[in-house]
Amino acid sequence: MDKKKLSLVQFKRVRLNEKQLRNFTGFLKTKGRVYAPHRKGEKSFSFQEVDDPSKVVFNYPRTILPLKKFFQPPIETLLEFTINDNSYELPDIDNKNKIFFGVHSYDMQGVLRLDYVFSRGEPEYNYLKRRENSTFIGISFEPDEYHFSGSVGIDVENTEGFSIFIDIVDEDNYVVFACDNTGEELLKEYGIKDFESGEYKLKEREFKAKLKYHYGRLPQIFEKCYNYDVWKKVSERCLGCGNCNLVCPTCYCFDVEDDVDLKIEMGSRTRRWDSCMLNEFAMVAGGENFRKELYQRTRHRLHRKFKYITDHYGYPFCVGCGRCSQYCPADINMVEVVNDLIKEHEEREKVYV
Amino acid sequence: MDTVLAKEKKILYAPEISEIIEAKFLTATEKFFKIKLPGGRDLKHIPGQFVQVSLFGVGEAPISVCSSPTQKGFFELTIRKVGMLTEKIHELEAGDKIGIRGPYGRGFDVNAFKGKDILIIGGGIGIVPLRSLINYIIDNRNDYGRLIILYGAKSPSELLYRDELKMWEEREDIEYHVTVDRSDENWKGNVGVITTLIPPLELDLENTIAAIVGPPVMYKFVLLALKSKRFPEKNIYMSLERRMKCGVGKCGHCQINNLYVCQDGPVFNYLEVKGLEEAI
Repeated sequence: MDKKKLSLVQFKRVRLNEKQLRNFTGFLKTKGRVYAPHRKGEKSFSFQEVDDPSKVVFNYPRTILPLKKFFQPPIETLLEFTINDNSYELPDIDNKNKIFFGVHSYDMQGVLRLDYVFSRGEPEYNYLKRRENSTFIGISFEPDEYHFSGSVGIDVENTEGFSIFIDIVDEDNYVVFACDNTGEELLKEYGIKDFESGEYKLKEREFKAKLKYHYGRLPQIFEKCYNYDVWKKVSERCLGCGNCNLVCPTCYCFDVEDDVDLKIEMGSRTRRWDSCMLNEFAMVAGGENFRKELYQRTRHRLHRKFKYITDHYGYPFCVGCGRCSQYCPADINMVEVVNDLIKEHEEREKVYV
Repeated sequence: MDTVLAKEKKILYAPEISEIIEAKFLTATEKFFKIKLPGGRDLKHIPGQFVQVSLFGVGEAPISVCSSPTQKGFFELTIRKVGMLTEKIHELEAGDKIGIRGPYGRGFDVNAFKGKDILIIGGGIGIVPLRSLINYIIDNRNDYGRLIILYGAKSPSELLYRDELKMWEEREDIEYHVTVDRSDENWKGNVGVITTLIPPLELDLENTIAAIVGPPVMYKFVLLALKSKRFPEKNIYMSLERRMKCGVGKCGHCQINNLYVCQDGPVFNYLEVKGLEEAI
């Protein structure tokens, strides 16, 4: 708790009411395209380009899709070709100024993890170019029954990656922190002259959903859990639909396909989001499938979240947003699955040690 | 605030349009292509590496290079017809164009193998990437000890590179053994699975490298046969096949547990994949 306070206290801040915050959102539109949460259905929200600042939702549990859709679009043209002369052109990649307003800490962490993936090894120009000139403005949230980012080391008030962070005190009371120079300049340009500093009392926010172990202890579970019963138990309910992959902020696997026009003269090579939960994902030429059972795919997906990439990244590749749990048609809950693994681990260790 | 910057505009997914300079069928299902990169530039690959081969409108797939890097100005592929893309590639002839990206992956460490005896075990089209290694060793023959080649095919008609097989058989400095699962009326050689060739071998176990490529089922039996000879596991290398969409460790398709075949492989030391359930 003290550490959290400390990190916010170091920033200059200003108090805005709802009208002022909406005005500020409108002002941001002079700086680039602004994307913010909008109401989509009765209970669903989505990051959309801001047209009318009065439509922006400040207090929301989570959007359906995370921010990856802006940097690695669901369908992306890699090249446009002409079949007859074997020529192709590379599409221009839009790197104009973008401001993402109202981002939750776990979604920011999702973007930072994708940055790692696409700049590691062979850096990927398409992603990195599209990612350029992006400014992020964070906002606090009240954890619901699905959020568990606290368990993977991401507090509500984690400001890493943000230029500005907004703490929602109540619906007409917002405390806006300038987390870096870009943020401070934006606030000044908007017309803020006097900043406050010093002591700031933060609201207590408790995560209802929690992993039983600190995330630092998960690698030791994943070291041993490969043949645990949990995988098969979960897969009895899993439909193998791949929804969890699509809504996950740190899932980035893709497929590449060629599309041609009806005259079969021109076409494009596109990449699309893919899903390791689908049966075809690990299939090779000739029909051999190296993860043909559903439990193997479930196990693979969770190992990608808590073991494989974590081994070199240092943190879980799950940001605790709760989307996979909320949008699972079979009601499979990530926190429950990991806690079941922990439980099985404890039982087995007791038996065998 | 940007922690990442798009550096040079190097598009990972842009193929080089290359020219097919020779094309011929080796069997009913395998076709051989000699390919020239733009300007006759060398591919600069290592035996065991692969390229992403593409045809616009159809798609792209990883294919092992079957020629040795000691040959300059061109490289060679042998492609089995297994799906839509390879079926279309089979229609191509000399003069046609094809898209190439790569080379990718980790090949055989030919420098580390210097001074060692090399035991090649190839089953079916597993001989394709091994041909690159074999020809590399033949072109640098003094750098290596014995060259033992075990080659198995389902039937005599499925044997690839028949001119070269004859040469391997005739050369004094190559110990070549071939077997087929099913013989035909003209076949006078061994009949049986490839593992039958292993027990009679006399090997200097500590100084021999085994390079194995074949279908998944073959690995299990070859590994068992080597084990009963007390062949050191650390000296065994194998190449694994997966579907790949990017070749550069991003798309996720080729992942075996924590390993990416396109980056960590396709050639693995046996000890690296030994405990991995998803490997074979």
